[in-house]
Amino acid sequence: MDPNVIVLKNVEKYFFLQHQKTLKELVQALFKKQKTLEQVHALKSVSFTIQKGESVGIIGRNGAGKSTLLKLIAGVSVPTSGSLTVNGKVVPLIELGAGFHSELTGRENIYLNGVILGLKESYIKSKLKEIIEFSEIEKFIDIPIKYFSSGMQMRLAFSVAVFVDPEILLIDEILAVGDIEFKEKCLKKMEEFKKRGVTIVFVSHSMENVENFCERVIYMKEGKIEFDGDTKRGIDLYLK
Amino acid sequence: MVIFKHWELLKHLTLREIKARYKQSFLGFFWIVLNPFFQMIIMSFIFSKVMRVQNLGVPYPVYVYAGLLPWLFFTNSLTNATGSLVLNSQLIKKIYFPREILVLSTLFSKTFDFFLASIIFLLLMVWFHMPFSFYMLLFIPIFIIQFLFAFGLSLLLSALNLLYRDIQYLFELILTLWFYLTPVLYATEFFPPKYRWIFRVNPMSVFINAYRQVLLTRSFPNWGSLLIGASISLIIYFLSRRFFKKMEGIFADIV
Repeated sequence: MDPNVIVLKNVEKYFFLQHQKTLKELVQALFKKQKTLEQVHALKSVSFTIQKGESVGIIGRNGAGKSTLLKLIAGVSVPTSGSLTVNGKVVPLIELGAGFHSELTGRENIYLNGVILGLKESYIKSKLKEIIEFSEIEKFIDIPIKYFSSGMQMRLAFSVAVFVDPEILLIDEILAVGDIEFKEKCLKKMEEFKKRGVTIVFVSHSMENVENFCERVIYMKEGKIEFDGDTKRGIDLYLK
Repeated sequence: MVIFKHWELLKHLTLREIKARYKQSFLGFFWIVLNPFFQMIIMSFIFSKVMRVQNLGVPYPVYVYAGLLPWLFFTNSLTNATGSLVLNSQLIKKIYFPREILVLSTLFSKTFDFFLASIIFLLLMVWFHMPFSFYMLLFIPIFIIQFLFAFGLSLLLSALNLLYRDIQYLFELILTLWFYLTPVLYATEFFPPKYRWIFRVNPMSVFINAYRQVLLTRSFPNWGSLLIGASISLIIYFLSRRFFKKMEGIFADIV
């Protein structure tokens, strides 16, 4: 098998930032001669290769292109030019509740979130007990999640995701919420993934997590790769 | 086919919509049935007692209900589907699956409503001593064509609505006008002959007439008009699908 699971070659990404979402705003803007469409050059000739089993942290300021990069790898957005190849099943750890419905119970949401992540219904059924156990919210599993705290919702979301068995795991700031204990548990689970040879792309503002977890960082600055290599050096460069 | 490949996702997204709705309200499923039922009662009163519509050959409540149900399926599908991509923007930004699944799940949940409300139609037929016949089964192919028509338009509108949110409101206005140009409350024969061409190019009118023919007059539908309706539906579906698929790559950027 090809050891290069994620390959980007001269990837450029432009998108239009629409300043007005309604016709009323658009007409007003036209009269005032304001900008209506702004072209954003989100990624500038980005090239890198990630090999199977690597854990790569992506760091940089807001707007540096980190999330755009993740969107491209997840396949939800396409590069404007350049080439992008991803080999393997990509699982994004969905941010808190994106695949949830607040009126449905915890149990129903496990199924919903599971199929959104590409799991088979029969597989979810067989793992249901473990998923609920991992989340540690057995008591509340049959009430609508609108009564859940955000921490509880996060627990549920993460618990479903860790049972997906991904080849490539994308993590975007999911560890921002939740108590320390659960965070530890998640980090431990991610270590497990790492040992199993799962490729992990980790976007975070927490340098501590990145340093503990990744052996390589890509430091993005204004859409370009500023640094790609050893974690410690990358972080030092970023914090400077 | 997307439907088969992503069947479980489609199923759970559809269930989400159906479940969420009945959980939110006390009467739940009854609203789905009660709403068209009361509309039918009001329309029946106004048109058979106040305006005195005559010579339909069948009791007015049954006549109007046979047109009202497909019309409600159409408007409910489109208004909800148009907003479906915006509503699920969080998902669109995070994870890939064919986006038409979101639109389809909305249409499937409205199909569920349609069949649930149809029970009342059957009860009305029994109430008015109208005979059942095998022609009635033809409503299934007619519904499939109507579904395709609604699906095609939904793909187009949901994608456009991501660009400008006004599409939703604009289309609601169009729907109001469209309602009066569709023989829901009246029969096509009530219209002056020189304007009747409207009904031939309006697929909704074609479908409603076809439903009435197979359900109420116990005959075959007008194959010629149905063919026009089916062709328009297919053309709209293929064009909209192409547009939708072309836009799909930038959905996550503009949502």
